[in-house]
Parts: sequence; C-alpha cells; structure tokens
Amino acid sequence: MLELLTDLIAVADGRVSYAEARHVSDRGEGLAVRSGEVDDAGSSTTEGIGVRVRVGGGWGFAATGDATRAGAEAALAQAIAIAEAQPSVGIPTELAPVAPARGHWASPCAIDPFTISIEEKLALLSEIEAALRGDPRVVRTVASCLSRRVEKAFASTEGAAFTQVVVQCGGGIQAIAAGDDEVQVRSYPLAHGGDVAAAGWEQMLALDLREQAPRIAAEAVELLTAPPCPEGVRTIVLHGEQLALQTHESIGHALELDRILLGEASYAGTSWVGSRDAGTLRYGSDLLNVTADATSPGGLGTFGWDDEGVAAKRTPLIERGILQATLCNRESATTVGLGESGGCARADGFSRQPIVRMTNVNVEPGDAGTLADLLADTGEGLWFETNRSWSIDDRRLQFQFATEICREITGGELGRLYRNGSYAGITPEFWGSMDAICSASEWRLWSLLNCGKGEPGQVMEVSHGAAPARFRDVQVGVA
Amino acid sequence: MNALELAERALAHAVGDAQVTVTRERSLLSRFARSAPTQATAVDDVTIHVLAWRDGHTGAAATNLADDASLRDAAVRADAAARASATAAGRAGDHPGPVRPAAGGALGDAAAHDAATAALDPDVAGTALATAFEVCGAAGLEAFGVWTAGEVESAIASTAGVRASERVTDAYMKVIARDARGRSGWASGAGTGHGAFDAAALARDAAAKVRPEDAAELPPGEYPVVLAPDALGSLLDFLGDLAFNGLAHAEGRGALSGRLGATVAAPGITLADAPRSTLTLPRAFDAEGTPKDALTLIEDGVARRVVHDSRSAARAGDGAASTGHATAPGGSPYGPSPTNLVLAGGDAATEAELLAPIERGIYVTRLWYVNPVNEHETLLTGTTRDGTFLIEDGRIVRPLRDVRFTDSVLRILAATEALTSARHLACEADHYGRRFAYGVVCPALRASGFRVTGVSPA
Repeated sequence: MLELLTDLIAVADGRVSYAEARHVSDRGEGLAVRSGEVDDAGSSTTEGIGVRVRVGGGWGFAATGDATRAGAEAALAQAIAIAEAQPSVGIPTELAPVAPARGHWASPCAIDPFTISIEEKLALLSEIEAALRGDPRVVRTVASCLSRRVEKAFASTEGAAFTQVVVQCGGGIQAIAAGDDEVQVRSYPLAHGGDVAAAGWEQMLALDLREQAPRIAAEAVELLTAPPCPEGVRTIVLHGEQLALQTHESIGHALELDRILLGEASYAGTSWVGSRDAGTLRYGSDLLNVTADATSPGGLGTFGWDDEGVAAKRTPLIERGILQATLCNRESATTVGLGESGGCARADGFSRQPIVRMTNVNVEPGDAGTLADLLADTGEGLWFETNRSWSIDDRRLQFQFATEICREITGGELGRLYRNGSYAGITPEFWGSMDAICSASEWRLWSLLNCGKGEPGQVMEVSHGAAPARFRDVQVGVA
Repeated sequence: MNALELAERALAHAVGDAQVTVTRERSLLSRFARSAPTQATAVDDVTIHVLAWRDGHTGAAATNLADDASLRDAAVRADAAARASATAAGRAGDHPGPVRPAAGGALGDAAAHDAATAALDPDVAGTALATAFEVCGAAGLEAFGVWTAGEVESAIASTAGVRASERVTDAYMKVIARDARGRSGWASGAGTGHGAFDAAALARDAAAKVRPEDAAELPPGEYPVVLAPDALGSLLDFLGDLAFNGLAHAEGRGALSGRLGATVAAPGITLADAPRSTLTLPRAFDAEGTPKDALTLIEDGVARRVVHDSRSAARAGDGAASTGHATAPGGSPYGPSPTNLVLAGGDAATEAELLAPIERGIYVTRLWYVNPVNEHETLLTGTTRDGTFLIEDGRIVRPLRDVRFTDSVLRILAATEALTSARHLACEADHYGRRFAYGVVCPALRASGFRVTGVSPA
C-alpha cells in the first residue's frame, strides 16, 4: 500500500504545492452484555484512502473507500478540483518544516485481542454483568469491551513514507437504578465507554470489573435515596478520572491553536487564550504542570507520527501555572511564528482530514502523597468521582460538571453519599485554586473515547494522565 | 450497481436469518473562517452492514469493501458473532428476529432527492462562500461557517423478504458573522437541496445579530425567555432521546415513565414525529425497513406515546410494536429515537409579538454544548452563543453576555406561553460517522421561565 501512495504522490507532484495521502485500515469489535442479554456483538472493517492537496492557497481533501490505484487517482483529481474551486485567500501560510518521516512504528500489545474468541470474551462479560444484577431496583446493567486495530500508511510530496499500527483494548461496567421517580447511574472504571488503552487483551484482564461489580450496583441503589448534593462554596477533591475530563475540557481544548486562531469558530468554538500568551499567561496555581505527550505508554493519544508525518513529541504546555505552549499542527505553527509543528494533527479514519487534536494532555503529579494523605490533609470538603455530565462554553471558560458520586469528606475521610453532585467554575480561577495534587503513586492515564471536533464531525480518542487533586472555594450543588 | 442490488448481493452470502443494510454516501463540505476557506472535504464511501440471528441472539459485521470475498467475510463474521452470543447466553435470546415486510411490498423513495444538489459541484460551494464573505465584509464583519451537501442512498434486504431503498439529498449552510471584539451572530438554512437557502440572506441575518452596544450581564436566576428556532431545536432534539425512547420507558428510567396520558407541557404544545413531511428531511423507512409514518408524541400538552423499534417493543411487551424508529439494524441497544420532530406553530405572526409582553428577559439565538444532567428529569445544561440579547419592555435593547442554563425541557415546554406560526428546520449538520441528515422543525417560543445558572466572563 505504501508503494501505491508514493506512486500517487509522484503523480501529484508538480500539479500541487503540497499533497499527502493516507491509507487507513481499521478493524474494530464491540461486545456488550446488557440486563442479562448479549445484545451487542459486532465487528467492522473499513479501509480507504484520503488525499489532501494544496493548490495555491486552497486546500482540498477527498476520501474514497476504493483503495485501488484508480480509486486513489480519482480521489486525487477530486481533491485538486475542490482546492481549485476555493475562493482566493491571497498569500498562503507556509507549512512548518518537518523532516520526512520514514519507517514503521507499532504500539505495544502483549495479547492480540483478535486472537481471543468472541465466545471467551462474552463468557467473561456475562460473568461480570451477572455480578451487577440482583437488586430489583437495578433496571439496567452493562458489561462491555472493545478491541481495535488501526493500520496506517502515509506518503507526502515532501518525501514522507511511513507505516504505523495501533492496537486498543478495554472495557467497563455500568448499573442504572430506578425508584420513586428517581434514576441514578454508576459506572466503573469510568463513564463514557470504559477504560481503554493502547494495549492488547491484557488491558481487559487487568481491570477488576468482576470484583467491583457488586459495589457499583449497590452504589447505584444507594444513590436513589441519598440526600442531594449541598449547595454553596466548598473545598473539593476530584477523583483522577474527573480531573482528566476537567483537563480535557478546560485545558486541552482551550490550548488548541486552531481554536485560538478562530479556525474552529464555526463549530467547536474559540478560546479565552490568546495566540501570544505563551510565557506570560497565568493559567493556574504554581502546582499546575501540564504536558502534551504523544509518547505516554498506553495512551490513546500516543503514536509514532501524527497525521501530517510529524514525529511524536512531549511538549510542556503549562509550567508552574504559566502557559508555555499550545497544541498545533504545521499550518497553525507557522501562523504564529513557530519554527516547528507541535505534532498534534490527527484525523478520524481515512475519510476525514487531519485537524489540530490533543495528544495525551497530562497534569503532572504533585507531592500530596496518597489519596488517603490528601483526604486527611483536607479534613472537610466534598469528593467528586466518575463524570456524569459535562459542559463548557465556546471559549472554554465557564464550565459545569456533574458526577455520579459525591461524598462528604469529614474528619479527613470519605463520608456519606450525596446524589446529583455538581460543581462549576471559571477556568483560570478554578485551576488557580488547586492547592494539592497527589503524588506519582496515584497518577495514571484515563481514556476518553468520544471527543468530537471538526466538520464533518470527527471522533477522536485520547488519554489524560491525572491524580486526585484539591481545589478551594468551588461552587457546588449547581444543578 | 445500486444500493439495493448490493444489499441483495451481500444477502446471498447469509448463512441464516439476516438483514443487510447498505448506506452509500457522497458528500462535500466546505468550511470557512475569517472570511477565507479553511477545509474542504469530499467523501465517497459505502457501508455494508450484515445483521445475523441465531436463536434470538444477534451478531453484526460491517465493511466498506464491496467485493464478493469481503461480503462473504462480513456474512460469516456476523453469523459467527450471533452463534457466539447464543453460546455465551446458554439460552434463547429475546430478540424477535428480522421484521416482516410491510404491506404493499418494497418501499421506495421519500421524494427527498434533488439532482442539482447530488452533483456536489465544488463551484456552488465556492460561490456561496464568496457571497458570505462579501456580505459580512460590507458590514465590517468576518464570516465563519460551513456549506455542505450530500447524497445518501440507503437499502435494506433481509431473509424475511424486506426490500427497501431510497436516495435522499440534503444541504446546509450556516454563517457566523463576527466583529473584532468577538461578538457574533448566527443564521442557518437547511433542506433537501441547496436551493433551500440563500447564502446572502443567511449572511445578512447573521450580521444583523452583531450589535454595537456593550453587552449587559444578567445574574443567575429565572427569566422570561424567547428561544429562537435553532435554540429550541437543540432542546427538542434531546427531548426526542430522553422522553420518547421506548426502551428506556420500558425499563422504567424514561422521562415519561408513568406519565403517558398526563399533562407534561402547555396546551399549545403538540409535538409529532413526521418523517414524510416535506418541512423535514424526509425518510421512508427506519433501520429495520419498517415504514415511517407520522406519530403524535405530545398532543395539546398531553404525553401520548413513546417510539419503538422491534427490540424495544419486544422488551416492552404488552402488545407494543415497532413504530418505525429503529436507528440501527435490529434496533439499537440504546433504544429507538424519533428523527423528524415537528413542533406545531402558534399564533404569533412574528418574533416581535413574542417579545412584546416581556418586561425583562432573554432572547436566545442558539445553544451550545448541551448535555443531560439528569435524563429522567430531561434536565439539561448548556450555554447560549452567537446572539444572546436582553429584552426590556417588549423589545431587544442590547446584547447580553452568554449565559449558562440548567433547566428541564419539559418544564420549559410547560411554561410555554406562545409560539410563532412560522417554523424553521433546525439542524446541527455535524455529520459524525456515516452521513445521516436530520433536524427539528420548530417555531420560536416564549416561556415564562428559563433557569440561568451561570454567566460567561467578558
């Protein structure tokens, strides 16, 4: 396939100022047992080529499921026609230079998930799901897993020619309880599709879903009669999973340079961050250190090269609370005068073009010790765990989150349960109030499978490293 | 080879009971920002989905490869998954199997195809963009947005004898006009063809919502509100999933559980799913090949019914049957959903009439990042965007800083006082995955209370 792409690019050379071609082969499998029934057992295979060209200042992208030489050449011709039909933009922005990528990269995978039979996977899920059932107030139970293998080949008119393979696997459980005009949900290890890593079946085996299932179901029932989350201003401690989503929404997206440059104003929105804020903008407290790391082992934002052929890198975004860099691709980097891309161009399959995307945006661990240490030091407050609802404005400033679990922190320990926990804030004020974050022993990557951006829409998976952290004077009970 | 022929070719490889669904997409989407084109994407692809049954259990496999070996492989994989499901369960499953053909034989097109739109001419897109740039530029503003058109051919063939196919087109354009201070206005148009909207008119409407006055701020509280159709459409889109999902209803976790036949909205609220209406983006059949017909969901404020696919109907029992609302072959594990919501209009001739009785309130052009907080209560949160205004003494007086709302859709509908007679097809047109154009037809609405829980900083 790489030969077909390099041949295609040779055809394009001379007709365009730049061209790249990506072939993507994507194999996926999703299995779920819900409420005692195996009601999701499916697989998919897709394959195709996406061709992106630049003619003058105009971009054109065409994708085809016909991965033959003729299909690729037709896509190239269409991409050129589209680029030529764009209204003139004057002098185009140069692309930041990149050394031509060559070679092959693969994510680590100890047990190929596609060598495990569907029967074996479903037997495991059935056992896990059964452990969620028993209480009649639990009206819906789910145990699910997914496996995915994505193979890419890439060639460009600048001499790039590489291949890479990523394998992803993971799963999770959920219980929904209903009673007396109240419905509550519990998920584990996290909501929104389970805990997935760039790894093989060993990831699924490492999840303690069977052991946790009875507790998760019991908590869903307990929530039905729990008192509502108190209203007011409190000290809060966020579980690492909720901190990961908080990071995603209020740091990761806000630092996407295409948003900052207004390129996403038509859909995802803009940013409260300015294009020249690096080095001066205080984003949070001195404890806030954030990196964009496309090399994090097991991360869903980890790769060999991004979808513009830029090698994976680790970039400090925020150091001691001060903004250092943004997430950028080759074009946006040049626009703000950077000498190189941030390596953040990613595309959803072959039929979408690369746009600025997060790699693994991680909040680095602090020195607050274990979670028990942090709770003991906190004394009184509220604990928020497992995201249930999320929303943030189009500049990534004003946010509101709800979690499945909210618990009182009293006497330095977790106490009684509240239902419908929620909190809200303003991004720099919130991160500025962070006065403790747990140490590396509590830090891990959390997956996020459903990040939407771009038009036509692109769904991207990413991971965020996080540990439990404490924030002062936060508005709670807002929903 | 058309989609139905391809579906029948794939079905020939089926081992047992099976349904093949073919969806072929051709589309073009052009984005723009700061009055310049940014990205343009053309897609030409097909999905062949095979659903197999074994002893009340299903297995599925999809591919975008249409050669015989790939079709055979998909059929074998689907059957193997169904067998594995049956083995893992150790007993018969509760899926009722492939649906029976509709009376009257094969289903045809829903008359929602426009040949000129299907041409996907990039010059048409380029001209629309250039027009938006010119109109916004003349107002001293920059233009942002999207122009898109697509043709989607869908076909279903099953071993139960279902044969259904249709070709539909859709087109959509949105323009966001923005000034140097970051204030913005929005307009959008959608239909089955790109003749449904005029780029210049959209740009003018968007520009008119960018006003020179400084934005005022309203503290959290409850305010009278006028929701423009795009804002109301976002709320009703969520309501479709939260209130009318027959599976959630059967499991006792739906928003209308125990409330069918009860008053849930103001008397002026009549909401239907009207898949054949030319006001919408029409569909002839659902993902199981069941014909789609109009269904009243809320009538004069009274909750009438939920929707079903074959899977949810089987779970519901008590004589429930599919209403033609499957969103996935065999019925989605997440339940069925209406796709062509239409809210009846009211008596107000203009939005100005809606504003007239309000002493102090909010006008909302559109909503952003809306997500459920509590599904059972239809409690949503989100923010306003691209045109939020302060209403005083019956008219819009100045822009407002965007606000966060946290409110129940059913509560807003219960607090509804008036609706415009004119309606608009509100779409997002974000097109994740395979293109499936849909929208909500709705008027503008005035409600006595809208709960503001936060304000975006300046």
